[in-house]
Amino acid sequence: MTFSGELLAFLCLALVAVIGGVLLLNLTKVVHMVVALVFTFISLAGIYVLLSAEFVAVVQVLIYSGAITIIMLFGIMLTRHNDTSEPKGGALKKIFLFLGVLGFGVAVYIGIYNLDFNPQATTLHENNTEQIGMALYSKYIIPFELTSVLLLVALIGAIILAKNDNKKEADKE
Amino acid sequence: MDLDTLLSFEWGAMAPEFIILGVATILSIVDLFAPKHLDRKIFGWIGFAGILLALASLINLVGLGPVSILYDTFRLDGFAKAFKILLLIGAALVMLLALSYKPKEGMEEYKGEFYYLLLAGLLGAMMMASSGDLITLFVGLELLSLSSYILAGIRKKHLPSNESAMKYVVNGGIATAFTLFGMSYVYGLTGTTNLIEMTNVLPNLANAQYIYILGIAFFMIFVGLSFKLATAPFHMWAPDVYQGAPTPVTAFLSVVSKTAGFVILIRILLTVFGNAFAGNSGVAAMTNFLVGMQDYIAFLAAATMIIGNVVALRQRNIKRVFAYSSIAHAGYLLVAVTAMSSFMFDALWFYLGAYLFMNVGAFAVIQLLTQHTDNEDIGVFAGLYKRAPWLAVAMGVFILSLAGIPGTAGFIGKLNIFIGALASEPAHYVLASVMIATTVISYFYYFGVLTQMFFRPAAEDEGEGGKIRVPVGLSIALVICVVATIVFGLFPNIALDFFHTNFEGFADFLQ
Repeated sequence: MTFSGELLAFLCLALVAVIGGVLLLNLTKVVHMVVALVFTFISLAGIYVLLSAEFVAVVQVLIYSGAITIIMLFGIMLTRHNDTSEPKGGALKKIFLFLGVLGFGVAVYIGIYNLDFNPQATTLHENNTEQIGMALYSKYIIPFELTSVLLLVALIGAIILAKNDNKKEADKE
Repeated sequence: MDLDTLLSFEWGAMAPEFIILGVATILSIVDLFAPKHLDRKIFGWIGFAGILLALASLINLVGLGPVSILYDTFRLDGFAKAFKILLLIGAALVMLLALSYKPKEGMEEYKGEFYYLLLAGLLGAMMMASSGDLITLFVGLELLSLSSYILAGIRKKHLPSNESAMKYVVNGGIATAFTLFGMSYVYGLTGTTNLIEMTNVLPNLANAQYIYILGIAFFMIFVGLSFKLATAPFHMWAPDVYQGAPTPVTAFLSVVSKTAGFVILIRILLTVFGNAFAGNSGVAAMTNFLVGMQDYIAFLAAATMIIGNVVALRQRNIKRVFAYSSIAHAGYLLVAVTAMSSFMFDALWFYLGAYLFMNVGAFAVIQLLTQHTDNEDIGVFAGLYKRAPWLAVAMGVFILSLAGIPGTAGFIGKLNIFIGALASEPAHYVLASVMIATTVISYFYYFGVLTQMFFRPAAEDEGEGGKIRVPVGLSIALVICVVATIVFGLFPNIALDFFHTNFEGFADFLQ
């Protein structure tokens, strides 16, 4: 593996993403957690750019760092915004969890560190968005339509679970 | 793609899905505009009629050869048809249960939503059965999961229901992450999401490095999907969720959701990882890969059977008993998956069918006895034979079938799996003996319920309230389940012949 600017960029972005994830788990205030999460989201978007998936990168910034984070912040503001998570679990449990994560990391690393793929596709960056659109609205139209049913179900579910169904209040309206 | 290409596909093959989708959409719109005082029960009957219509149109399609629409994102082959029949029958019976469901605190406000969420979940399960593309399979899986999460928590004022929905969402989210991670590795290796194309690409990848990654991918997908099956290592949610969810939803989870889980598992397992099994590419490394994985599945199957049956012995809550029993049954089904004998499909299909009837029937009785009091102790069955003899006899049939006593469908199903485990090459003697041993253990808790019904006196305070009125929907479901359990137990060839003449052992599975 030769040293290149791309590698350097990747290392920085990956480091920020991992640190964001670790901070998310270790911070105690919910608002701080959300900020840590934003770091992870944005550096992931950077990695997508490196992989010439510009459209996905833009969507990542718009949806994840934008919409989802804002909704989370709204949720936190409207509920108990000073909430902190209690420290949980004994030291033994933490050690076992750490060993588990480490073991999994090693197992995956063995698999990928020397992986050699056949020549890669080189036309991915050409009209990236157009290519995605073509695939989505022709080849994958069935899963696409099914996703809309999925969103409808999620919407109805959210209404059912969140609606304030005090009978008397409903009658007043 | 212009309109002509779009219309050139055989959309008729998707008729059952379109019917379910249409009914669900219409119900949701009508629910929005219908007056508040309208009894939403009518929605349930419309939904039931819709499911029957879809079933009829599916049976109409049985003779059709394999149909593939848009690069296999939808495919209707023998496998899909056979299992979609089970899913539709299961959902129809659950709908009948839901129609008669009257919890203590009332659920009138969400009755309508309940029915079309059930239909949406069914749609997801059906898509999981009839697709040859990872993306559609995954979207179907999520549609089923999401509907189930909401259904589990639909009794908003009932604390255990809230808890069960929360646990289900958290566990389900983790399981989904596992599945998706595994799928992404398979996609990365093969460069396609189409299962059949993967089968063609994978033999070219037979070097140690790729097989190692494929192993990780297999492991992740299997662990993730074991959540839907409620087998080890992802079984811990089942008792809590089964206990807290409304009883029809519990029946839905244990029958339709489990069947769908097995369907997607087999589809991915056999097409992606099992091309050595189909015999079209004899790469030695690949065969070793599957055999190595077989030991792993065998271990999980044994663990599931033991955990399910042993822990069930300690339970007093009837829904928890049935949750562990459903874990154990998933373990028996995994034995069939492990053995991969030549009649694995028959064994699985028949067992899932038998399990459908006996389990929905049992949940129908449980619902009737527990819904008024919210008392779910096993003692509610005490003296049932005195209070309602026919109900007790029906429940007795289901229990005997679940335990696997000869003369019931459950026995034939178990026998098929058992013979499959011994007949495969190499024979799985250990697994077969674990299956026998755990079946014997299961007699203790199943017969505990029988003892309560036939030999224990009823509690005193139910002296005059002992009369049990069986609602119409529930009694239809009960009669169907009892008849099916006995008929398929005495004449299993009715089902097996139908299976063999119509689906030809799924010869079109890989076409």
